[in-house]
Amino acid sequence: MVKFHEHIITDLLDDPSGGLVVLSSGLSLHHPSQGTLLLLSPPPSLLPHLLPHHQISAITADLPSHHRLSLYSSGQICSVTPRILIVDLLTHRLPVSSLSSLLLLNAHNLLDTSTESFIFRIVKSLSKSVAVYAFSDRPQSMVAGLGKTERIMKALYVKKLHLWPRFQVFVSQELEKDPPEVVDVRVPMSKYMVGIQKAVLEVMDACLKEMRKTNKVDVEDLTVENGLFKSFDEIVRRQLDPIWHILGKKTKQLVSDLKTLRKLLDYLVRYDAVSYLKYLDTLRVSESFRSVWIFAESSYKIFDYAKKRVYHFQRSSDTNTIGQSKTKTGKKRKLKRGDHEEDVEEEDGDGTASANSTSGAVLEVALEESPKWKVLRSIEEERQKQALSSEEITAEIQECDNGIVLVLQEEWEKYLLSKVELRGFQTPQKKKSKPKPREPKGFGILDGVVPVTTAQNSEASSINKQEHDALLAAASEIRNQYKKDNVVEDDPQPDAGARKVKKDEEKDRTKDLKHLVGMLKHSEVETKDSLKISGSENEGQMAKIEQPVLDGKLQASTEKGVLRRHNQQPAHTASKNAKPIPPVHFYALESNQPILDTLLPSVIVVYDPDMTFVREIEVYRAENPSRRLKVHFLFYEDSTEVQKFEASIRRENGAFESLIRQKSMMMIPVDQNGHCLGLNSSMELEVSSSQNSITRKAGGRKEVQKEMQVIVDMREFMSSLPSVLHQKGMHIIPVTLEVGDYILSPLICVERKSIQDLFMSFTSGRLYHQVEMMVRYYRMPSASGIGDDVTPTNIISKLSLLALHFPRLRIIWSRSLHATAEIFASLKANQDEPDEVKAIRVGVPSEDGIVENDVRAENYNTSAVEFLRRLPGVTDSNYRAIMDGCSSLAELSLLPMDKLAELMGGQKAARTLRDFLDAKYPTLL
Amino acid sequence: SSSQSNQSRNAILVSHRQKGNPLLKHIRNVRWAFADVVCDYLLGQSSCALYLSLRYHLLHPDYLYYRIRELQKNYKLRVVLCHVDVEDVVKPLLEVTKTALLHDCTLLCAWSLEECGRYLETIKMYENKPADLIQGQMDTDYLSRLNHALTTVRHVNKTDVVTLGSTFGSLSNIMDASMEDLARCPGIGERKVKRLYDTFHEPFKRVV
Repeated sequence: MVKFHEHIITDLLDDPSGGLVVLSSGLSLHHPSQGTLLLLSPPPSLLPHLLPHHQISAITADLPSHHRLSLYSSGQICSVTPRILIVDLLTHRLPVSSLSSLLLLNAHNLLDTSTESFIFRIVKSLSKSVAVYAFSDRPQSMVAGLGKTERIMKALYVKKLHLWPRFQVFVSQELEKDPPEVVDVRVPMSKYMVGIQKAVLEVMDACLKEMRKTNKVDVEDLTVENGLFKSFDEIVRRQLDPIWHILGKKTKQLVSDLKTLRKLLDYLVRYDAVSYLKYLDTLRVSESFRSVWIFAESSYKIFDYAKKRVYHFQRSSDTNTIGQSKTKTGKKRKLKRGDHEEDVEEEDGDGTASANSTSGAVLEVALEESPKWKVLRSIEEERQKQALSSEEITAEIQECDNGIVLVLQEEWEKYLLSKVELRGFQTPQKKKSKPKPREPKGFGILDGVVPVTTAQNSEASSINKQEHDALLAAASEIRNQYKKDNVVEDDPQPDAGARKVKKDEEKDRTKDLKHLVGMLKHSEVETKDSLKISGSENEGQMAKIEQPVLDGKLQASTEKGVLRRHNQQPAHTASKNAKPIPPVHFYALESNQPILDTLLPSVIVVYDPDMTFVREIEVYRAENPSRRLKVHFLFYEDSTEVQKFEASIRRENGAFESLIRQKSMMMIPVDQNGHCLGLNSSMELEVSSSQNSITRKAGGRKEVQKEMQVIVDMREFMSSLPSVLHQKGMHIIPVTLEVGDYILSPLICVERKSIQDLFMSFTSGRLYHQVEMMVRYYRMPSASGIGDDVTPTNIISKLSLLALHFPRLRIIWSRSLHATAEIFASLKANQDEPDEVKAIRVGVPSEDGIVENDVRAENYNTSAVEFLRRLPGVTDSNYRAIMDGCSSLAELSLLPMDKLAELMGGQKAARTLRDFLDAKYPTLL
Repeated sequence: SSSQSNQSRNAILVSHRQKGNPLLKHIRNVRWAFADVVCDYLLGQSSCALYLSLRYHLLHPDYLYYRIRELQKNYKLRVVLCHVDVEDVVKPLLEVTKTALLHDCTLLCAWSLEECGRYLETIKMYENKPADLIQGQMDTDYLSRLNHALTTVRHVNKTDVVTLGSTFGSLSNIMDASMEDLARCPGIGERKVKRLYDTFHEPFKRVV
């Protein structure tokens, strides 16, 4: 913990009613939140906090209820999931009087309608003295939307807002006291990358212009810079959501196109050339008809450059070009000396070019390596040298301290795959470019020169043997595949002009790529398997030395947990010439683990710049002032990456400035005793006019003319509807319901489905059974769908069928939670209140097996009928006949074939049933 | 004339009121014909539909109620086909939902005329279709079918199915087992025994 963390805590605890802390991202939010907890914990205080935390007894759904109650009464700190807490509060299992404070993390996620707000509302309505502490480290999300912070604070019932930006005096003083040694490496992007980036930005701009033309969105926020962020989608969606269903296809497509383009920019610096091209190809296949951007003028450049990063196509009669290309590859090879892998590729590429010289067309492989790889490698080598020269010192002093953390946001797994692919890639290339490549003979040669074997030769001493085996297997698979393919695709057409050949080859290439993908999956599994084996045999085998980069990739592709365990004790048993150089750790930011605190590194290479991580490094530095720390930043010069990084800092600062402004003029309503009044008391903008009128008439929630009751199934507390219903002034009774989700009155029962849920329960048949049950017990069963922008045609047919089969089923269409609540209220208006006890019993058979209220129960043995209808061979049309023909299931099981056939109206059905009845149960051993 | 009545049975009968409704252009896969019917679209012997455009509803809020009242009690399935053609749907949709719900109508919403047409077509075409499509596919192997059947008995879970299966060897043996035999299975308590036994031995129809 650093000093400013202590400041945060003392400031927060200053006010006994609590407060909301907003911190810059990356400033170790867990320190102040933990500290607050510790200070609050002296017994006998009880503090359910809303996010699971391992040091605190966590209450989840797995814990039986009596356990939960004893935990509540024990006065410990508990962490409770919102769903459980709200149910326990509503059922009074957790008396509010025994609650001292509530702590909430990720306060920026709080919505007026979320369960958490519901909890705060209930708690505060019962006891004003409960303190609320809330934390957030996402200032940007705190300012997204009109008066969001104010709303959040009202929902939390807190008066105080504590802001701790990075530029705050205490914070900056402390973090800048002793800055780490920073090396800023600006890597120029390759020519093609620059071209692609430029083209993507152009297309993006064009799309944005197009978007502005629609006049549906506020143009101010629509800048290319904003377009680089994920939150851009949110901005657009927030503006378009209310009118989404009337937007034209084109506008919708534009929104998704912008998303795709942003991804393209991201991937440009993340992926290697081959994966990038592959991604583009899949895009072209999957989006070509719908998307707007693919037809934009600059788009072709994207594809063109991306292709050029992987291969060139040339007519070989032009001998000059070949010569050139040869020298070119030669040069490249020089540059990459030391990088075995690339070397091999180039060799292959070279070989390809020369092998082609006699053919009509040349497909020259020009795999462009990502410029950062080179830099990464040189840094790595430098570090190794250093480590070697000062080996003993480092080894003694910093036994496990000097692991390098490489921050790589993308999944390295994909990287490894692309490596394999690069190698495999040579195979088809070669095959295609040979003069008569389509003759099976070619494979004889090929077998000898499978690139992987070459790779093994040149790297035999350095690369993990297991990996080779896996690769070899994959390669032979690929080879086999080609043999097969060859038979099928053998098509001895002489090349008719270069163009056509090109097309041909391109087609083939894409086909091959597809195969490769399949292969790769396979090889991935194999690699993983082999690694697992090696892991068990030899603890530290993964921490390899000679090829740290490559092995790092392997490391990353295994499970993270394994990785962490091994890296504390760098073992080096695998290769013969192993030297005790500390291991390299690859770490993906998204994994969200406190990597710095666990590994305590002294050298950090930041591959993808990310603001949060930079801050984390700063805090780490401030926490460990005695440790040496060197940080390398890898930036692409003039890239959107830099732009994005800088913009993210600007955005955060902007967010804080706006928060400071908001704080100065915030209006939080307070009652006479200084307690915050929360959302309901003030006239909120969002509150619909009708609700306002209720408030005006009755002067508050409690005096609504008549206390309306709704019985809600426990499982429904995942959604926000109960909260909204409560806001509407209805009394919520949580119980476990067998039938339906909401019971509005003795006659009305509602099954609520979100759109996705609706689709799923249609396919699984769940909805059918749910409706069947509802129809049986309630006069007015209803299904309520929320959200309306999804209306594909297949749902139409299913809904129609549902309506046909259950003519008594009513369907409620609702756009929003508030609309649903409104509908519920008006449906209840002239109905009796539901009976809790009855509702629970519905659908649950009593002891003698008779289900209460079941219209059919008096006449039929329902479970037997149900059972019968689920037997194979029994259909809707013949089950009545069976029931007429024999009295019980036991009797049915003894009926002979001919009698069955008579009852079931066919030999086939009877045979199916008889076979099923008599089938021998398979023994499990 | 019999062929004519046959024909009309296979077609959607459209009320003369609907003349000029652009929706008719979108009924393509099913035949339709004008006829004298109370409802807007007669979709089957006992199913009918009323068409309502939300825009029209805003102008004439009482229209739907009167139309529903006209239907009386003559149809089993009464669909209100609501064409959502306004931007601010919340309030009118609430009114329509309420009217439809309280007067025994099934509300179907469509966001375009094509969708309206699709609804009418499918309801007509699916008139006699079994509900298999929405009942969910089941795995067809023996074990899952057995699970599927036996778990209809309340409180019987998959473990119990395994126990029963391996104890008795086949479903017919299970169905024929005595209460004592059932009770001897581990994990099957008194209540489950009774439920199972009743399911198998009580007659399908209680009233003889």
